[in-house]
Amino acid sequence: MIQLADVSYAYPDSGRFVLEHVDLRIEPGTITGVVGASGAGKTTLAKILSGFIPHVDGGQLSGSVVIGGRDLSGLPLAACVSQVGLVIQNPFNQISGARYTVRGELAFGMENLGTPRDEMANRVAEVAGLLRITDLLDRSPYELSGGQQQLVAIASMLVLRTPVLVMDEPTSQLDPAGTRMVFGVLSRLRGTGTTIVVFEHKPELLHAHADRLHVLAGRRIAASGSPGEILSDPRTDQWGVSATRYTRAARLAREQGLVPAEAPLPVSFEQAAAFFGWSARTRPPSPEDAR
Amino acid sequence: MTQAQFVGTGSPVHRLNPVTKLVALLSILVIVFALPQWWVSAIVVVGVLLPAAVIARCGGPLIAVGGRILLPIVVVLVLVQGLTFPGGRTMVWQWGVLSVTSEGLLFALNVGARIVCLVLASVLLVLTTHPGDLMSALTEAGMSPKFSYIISSTLQLIPAFRSRADAILLAQQARGLAVPRNPLRRIGVMMPLLGPLVLGMFTDVEERGTAMEARGFGSTARRTALEAIPDSTAQRVARWVMPLVAVAAVVVPLVWEVL
Repeated sequence: MIQLADVSYAYPDSGRFVLEHVDLRIEPGTITGVVGASGAGKTTLAKILSGFIPHVDGGQLSGSVVIGGRDLSGLPLAACVSQVGLVIQNPFNQISGARYTVRGELAFGMENLGTPRDEMANRVAEVAGLLRITDLLDRSPYELSGGQQQLVAIASMLVLRTPVLVMDEPTSQLDPAGTRMVFGVLSRLRGTGTTIVVFEHKPELLHAHADRLHVLAGRRIAASGSPGEILSDPRTDQWGVSATRYTRAARLAREQGLVPAEAPLPVSFEQAAAFFGWSARTRPPSPEDAR
Repeated sequence: MTQAQFVGTGSPVHRLNPVTKLVALLSILVIVFALPQWWVSAIVVVGVLLPAAVIARCGGPLIAVGGRILLPIVVVLVLVQGLTFPGGRTMVWQWGVLSVTSEGLLFALNVGARIVCLVLASVLLVLTTHPGDLMSALTEAGMSPKFSYIISSTLQLIPAFRSRADAILLAQQARGLAVPRNPLRRIGVMMPLLGPLVLGMFTDVEERGTAMEARGFGSTARRTALEAIPDSTAQRVARWVMPLVAVAAVVVPLVWEVL
């Protein structure tokens, strides 16, 4: 379990707290989404959860960050990274520059941690297969597109098999199919007991895959709940959180008086179908019907 | 030494341990500078480097890359030393104040042969050794992984940052920046672009540092390697014998002189 208690943080020499009194509890073997506007402190929270604050970035951190019963501030960074894997926002910078092929890049972290050679080869093959990058293994990481680099960056952390995975906007450069695939892989990882904390902006995928969402706004956790509760909350605009297309359409319909004001807003397609009373009988006419 | 210069033919020379090839290069370097006669370098080139290039199927690239480097050096050397060698007495050719002496030509030959040998040996190493393999082999041989990382990342990130500079320039051109043809004026126009590039690089370095640590770069665990570096008893012996030959090439002439 991950537990943050009364965590506040200010970057070095800034004097301004970017997070204040953050309390967070994340159950093991779950996918937790953290949403919030740009500049709300998501990247900062990701670094706190992975131990890089205060070990690398320094600054003023108060409160406690406990993962698996151990306070990260009392652990050396090497011990933190063996517990928590961090996928940073920019895949270009996740690539080490120390290896000349994607295969070598994926193995880089395992080499640093002393993983046996056979085990490394097996993990590289497995993760490359999961993320469908097997055909890229012998190419240079710097010859890849942004989306391909992002998959390599994710794969480079998945091979480390850390019990906790913190991902800061891991699908920002992926196309819709790639994004769905990554979330599918995360769901499979959850099934193996990995705890995943994902900082994302894509509400439909969070609704489909996350167990719980936390909203970061006003330097603290402004709301927590199931994805359905959070994404249909009337305060999403105020928090700077995107609602799904179904919720937006339902809000518009409600504003125009087309649906009852008290009906709960839908988040997914299935809920929207029920909300708008769609069914096979009420579907719009197709060209075949017109003929 | 970039990846682009590596010619992967999978030959026996390619399959040698990179450290063996590096030790061979350094030994050749010491030998040809310790024994400055042109024929020593000629023996190394004809007896070692060219056969190795043929076996490595890199003869063409070796001549092409080596030639591009050597041609201007050799031409300047022959002209300067041949025409201006101070101790020259035996005239070979004279035209006005210009004179070519056999002593000057011999000096140019001795120096030129060493440079040819050194350049061809270095180019052959680059053509037959993937930089990643060289770094892995050096790390396995005991070099600090951090030092190895500095070399590897520099080789790879410079082209990446060049692409970023091109992207910044394109972005500015799309917003109306005119880039003049005159090189001096072009430098003047591009100076303001250095700010975003350098600041971006600092951010990248900080982020990359975080990403590296996230992958255990600072770990004190004993490192392993995905790819096995080829090695053999014969090569291990050769890595001792070659430096010994080089040391002998330095010491024997000195002892000979004293005796």
